[in-house]
Amino acid sequence: MNQLNYVGKSLRRKDGPDKITGRAVYSQDVKLPGTLVGRLLRSPHAHARILRIDTSKAMALPGVKAVITIDDTKGIKHGFVETPRYPPDQEVLARGRVRHVGEEIAAVAAIDQITAQRAIDLIEVEYEILPAVFDPLEAMKPGAPEVQPTHPKVRAEVPYSNIGGRTATGWGDVEKGFAESDYVREDRFESHLRTHGYLEPQVTLAHWENDKLNVWTSSMGTFVKRAKLAKVLDLPYSAVRIHKTYVGGTFGGKIDLYSHEYCAARLSMLTGRPVRIVATREEIFSAYRHGQPLIMEIKTGVKKDGTIVAQQVRAINNAGAFRGSGVVVIFLAWGFTMIPYRIPNLAYEGLSVHTNNPVRAPQRGHGCPQIRFAIESQLDTIAEELGIDPVTIRLRNARKPREQLPNGDNVHEGGLIDCIKVAGEKADVVRRYGKGRKAGGTVRRGIGMGVSGYFGGSLIYPNGSGVIVKMADDGSATVLTGAIDVGQGSETVIAQIVAEELFLPIEDVKIVSSDTDTTPQDIGAWISGMTYVTGNAARQAAGNARDKMLQLAAQRFNCGVDDLYVADKVVYNRLDPAQSMSYRDIIALSIATRRGDTVIGEGFWRTMRDVPTHPSLATTKGRWSENYAFSCQTAEVEVDTETGEARVLKALTVHDCGFPVNPALVKNQVDGQVSMALGHAFLEEIMMKDGYTLNPTWLDYRMPTIHEMAESDDADVITEEYVVGKPYRTKEVGEGLVSGVLAAIANAIYDATGVRLHSTPFTPEKILKGLRQLERERRERA
Amino acid sequence: MILYDFDLERPNTLEEASALLRDKGADARVLAGGTDLLPNMRVEVVRPATVVSLGAITPRDPVRETDGTVRIDALTRLATLEGSDLIRAACPMLAEAAHRVAGNQIRQMGTLGGNLCQETRCLYYNQKHDYQFKAPCYKRGGEVCYPYPNNDRDTCWSVYMSDTAPALIALGAEVEIVGPGGTRRQPVEQLFTGSGLTPHALGAGEILSAVLVPPAEPRFGWGYHKSSRRGGLEFGMAVMAVGLTLDGDGATCRGARMVIGAVREKPIRLTATEQAMTGAKLDEAKIAELAAAAAKEINPLPHHGFTKSYIRDNIKIHMRRVLSEATARARGTGTAENGGHHD
Amino acid sequence: MTETPKRPKSNSRLIALCVNGEWHEVTVKPRHMLVEVLREMIGLTGTKDGCEQGTCGACTVLLDERPVLSCMTLAADCDGRQLRTVEGLAEGEKLSVLQQAFLDQGAVQCGFCTPGMLLSATALLERTPKPTTDEIKKALEGNLCRCTGYNAIVAAVLQASDQGVTPLMK
Repeated sequence: MNQLNYVGKSLRRKDGPDKITGRAVYSQDVKLPGTLVGRLLRSPHAHARILRIDTSKAMALPGVKAVITIDDTKGIKHGFVETPRYPPDQEVLARGRVRHVGEEIAAVAAIDQITAQRAIDLIEVEYEILPAVFDPLEAMKPGAPEVQPTHPKVRAEVPYSNIGGRTATGWGDVEKGFAESDYVREDRFESHLRTHGYLEPQVTLAHWENDKLNVWTSSMGTFVKRAKLAKVLDLPYSAVRIHKTYVGGTFGGKIDLYSHEYCAARLSMLTGRPVRIVATREEIFSAYRHGQPLIMEIKTGVKKDGTIVAQQVRAINNAGAFRGSGVVVIFLAWGFTMIPYRIPNLAYEGLSVHTNNPVRAPQRGHGCPQIRFAIESQLDTIAEELGIDPVTIRLRNARKPREQLPNGDNVHEGGLIDCIKVAGEKADVVRRYGKGRKAGGTVRRGIGMGVSGYFGGSLIYPNGSGVIVKMADDGSATVLTGAIDVGQGSETVIAQIVAEELFLPIEDVKIVSSDTDTTPQDIGAWISGMTYVTGNAARQAAGNARDKMLQLAAQRFNCGVDDLYVADKVVYNRLDPAQSMSYRDIIALSIATRRGDTVIGEGFWRTMRDVPTHPSLATTKGRWSENYAFSCQTAEVEVDTETGEARVLKALTVHDCGFPVNPALVKNQVDGQVSMALGHAFLEEIMMKDGYTLNPTWLDYRMPTIHEMAESDDADVITEEYVVGKPYRTKEVGEGLVSGVLAAIANAIYDATGVRLHSTPFTPEKILKGLRQLERERRERA
Repeated sequence: MILYDFDLERPNTLEEASALLRDKGADARVLAGGTDLLPNMRVEVVRPATVVSLGAITPRDPVRETDGTVRIDALTRLATLEGSDLIRAACPMLAEAAHRVAGNQIRQMGTLGGNLCQETRCLYYNQKHDYQFKAPCYKRGGEVCYPYPNNDRDTCWSVYMSDTAPALIALGAEVEIVGPGGTRRQPVEQLFTGSGLTPHALGAGEILSAVLVPPAEPRFGWGYHKSSRRGGLEFGMAVMAVGLTLDGDGATCRGARMVIGAVREKPIRLTATEQAMTGAKLDEAKIAELAAAAAKEINPLPHHGFTKSYIRDNIKIHMRRVLSEATARARGTGTAENGGHHD
Repeated sequence: MTETPKRPKSNSRLIALCVNGEWHEVTVKPRHMLVEVLREMIGLTGTKDGCEQGTCGACTVLLDERPVLSCMTLAADCDGRQLRTVEGLAEGEKLSVLQQAFLDQGAVQCGFCTPGMLLSATALLERTPKPTTDEIKKALEGNLCRCTGYNAIVAAVLQASDQGVTPLMK
């Protein structure tokens, strides 16, 4: 029996006491003497040529210390993606042209907010307004206003305008597959524009001091921020230090380099004083990056028993004015299509279309909720047509353990089948499905199911994580990790692993994290790989320190390392109980006899060790992940058929994350994602008109309040295990679970009402419209 | 953060406040709970040079006067109303309406007078205009209307969204106003002009001092519903309030006040439906018919992402439920749940 | 030598705030919000500034024991009044039962909404020692949380009010 003391236990958060007492220091809390206030001038037009910028009046205003425009930059571009096919495409301030409302044109640093705002108002910009386009289908048409030229390689493939990138891939022969199918159907789905909703605003404090740029910025990956910031400033990476702060939520929205981060840095370099820029909530809503609205066309052919034979998927992304992560989401939508079910013949095309909207960022799930909503909705329709229940059709197609994926990856012990079975049983899906529609009354209940799969820790800069474990003289340990705790609990998880490997009380493990100067490089909290990648690095580093100490003890006891055991920082010899030595004494011995070796453990980890880089975004060729997580979720909804008002009563998440290092933290992730999916399903929508954001506040961008949250249950399907001293495999648990539950809600609404919704959000108006359509059809038949 | 400087006055009485307001003229605004004025100052819908804060004035607790009228100081906090035994007993619809306002902190800060005197709302102007919608709209003194580009009538189709006003109108309440000429009283409905540009009919230096709710007649029943997408923290899509009395037969409607808020520049009384209701026997079919008539009578402005047709659809159903509740209460058959709060 | 600029007309005033039992005297302008004074002048940054629009509840503090939004409260209107912030909830190192319950239930993730949540919930528990779930929701409806999905927060308030909820985390 594998006895574990810390891993697998629901331990309280390491950062909890700081956060409940107000001691936790977030970027907005850092104070430096002499700090100037920075503000940005943003475009009032969706598309315009900049004919002239005159900053002289702003410069002349007393209290203004610096004003910058594109002429004050090095003209170095950056991008969320930086590959040979998709090179950096965006400057830090607009050059000669603005392509969306809110695009950054100039920045000022002044002694206070009012002066900074006055200075912004004094900058004169002359524009020539250009025709603009906001809808991706309009933007694709020949002759549409050109936001960005179609990518040169794509130009040869498709005849559309404004195509920033294209992913085209597949296998088998879909035409043959459709011909061999017993039933084929085509549907079109749409997912709307939503935002991350992090509570802490975007904020950056930069201080140029002694040829070094010190930065405190609200982010989800300090090493990515450092690389991008150093690059656009033309500084060596070592000249930029991103300090650790607590981070008030990210959800995908704080990984790109933002103009304000550059401007705070540049203004500090020009003035020699610290500069802070805080985005207002309106700016975050109307000028910063949101998630990705997708149009999805799905054609699926199945056998009579529900076995998928062929699938053709086309995803069109309204990508905004620059590349952002627009070319990534069309790659990922392919990935999230192919993970959960066997698709013998697949044809996939993804198009990223530039429009005069703000740029897009990753958002929790990054394409997964959208595509799973579409596929799982259609799958339920197919099942009904074939007279199969929702559980059976999913089991029929679900990937089995150790199955090879068409891209060369393996799902290892992937537990999807168990997830579906357990979810089906726990929620009693088969017995309850179809009852709601037949029930009388105006308040009807329905149940629905959705499946998703997710990758973990793919290869994206900086590709790997290092961890250092330093033993202190008293036998306690300090962990240096670049991992950033954005609320998911990475510091707690890493501490649990280190405590386990070193047989240390967890109170003796202290974490120093996410400081680019003092901690090793880390992949960051944005590609769902921290517990696996950084965790394994921490395991290795702690194991490395432990082995050094045990070897020394074994030498001293004249026994083998395997004969030793540790309890409360004391090493004992199993063969001779009289022999023991404390960590404190071993460390002293190491210093004395090993030329001062203070016992430092080193660890590093990288996924896909035999693969050079991330797969091609354009062709999907190359291996992608060695950690596929699976889940099956159900939702029970209640619909008022008179008003169309609907709500989720209960959600169930059955998932395979390998094993939970901290089950309570996993449950935290589940609940948060269910809540976010509820927002996607019913409430949240960025409303835009002609490139302007109509609802840049939380009053009108309706995130779920405490009233909306449903009962949320979860169950782990354990497929992997943790053994001290051995590499382990954990899987993603913080992103993908916004997906199956969204699809489950759509399917549950159908179950309750017979209304099949093809677009999010599921507003009362849409549900009512669907019910009336059904009523009309019923009358016509009668 | 408000990005301009203004002066602050903190008078000790409403009379002093009124005098200050009159002296400062159009450049002054009165501040009670601040939950409406301060966000509006932040986004510069209004930009007063002087703010006259009523923060130094302590409201008296609501009292029942000898004729049964409930007198509520305008500075009474919404949270006080929802928790007041007197209000819950004497005018539970007002307690319910106060309970439905925004979130708890806003109810702890906001006052009844402030809730009545809140500005109208519109997605376009309730935000900073640093770079979005830079040219001022009619309401901000400019020459454009963003939601209605064809609006050439120099008006403003913004929506008045108070949750308490429809309830007070349905209760037949009055407001007491302190002004340069002394104190005057008028029905709550007459507080509103119907213009989105200047929604309130208050003269220079006039301040609400109290709200007066008349005693309920025998066989009075009420119904109230705020339709919104979320629970809490939100203005209504439509707010429905009904107060009605029944004849001795417990079925025939003797008189009714039916009000819909949050769909127009002011709360709307549905006088035609009220008339149709008076003298009618309020059975299930009649109530459904009246609710449908109400939905037809109201001409809602599409607002905050809600279409005119859906607002009507929603009103048709919820008004039916509100009428049923009101009728049941008037008959004395209201259940415990709908006699009090229903969360 | 350059001329000294003209001294601007000032409408600042000196106010005294009793924050967590200690008096602070600060000079504020009428436009200063309570959250700015607490965070920037008094240095109590536990109170968070999430939206400045009165829509998220992160800046909630107790003003004379009532939960209010400090981003929509004029500091100059608070002269002489009692304030409680997240820094005042623990007694020295001893956490309040509610703080402990937040830790035990995993009601904290990124922690940005936590100070406001704690103060809204503290006000509730001081008035209603055994709140129902509906009362908890009504008291916390003005506090947005994006991480937890709220259920753990409800559980924490139930635990703190000794209503049969046991710690989830050790």
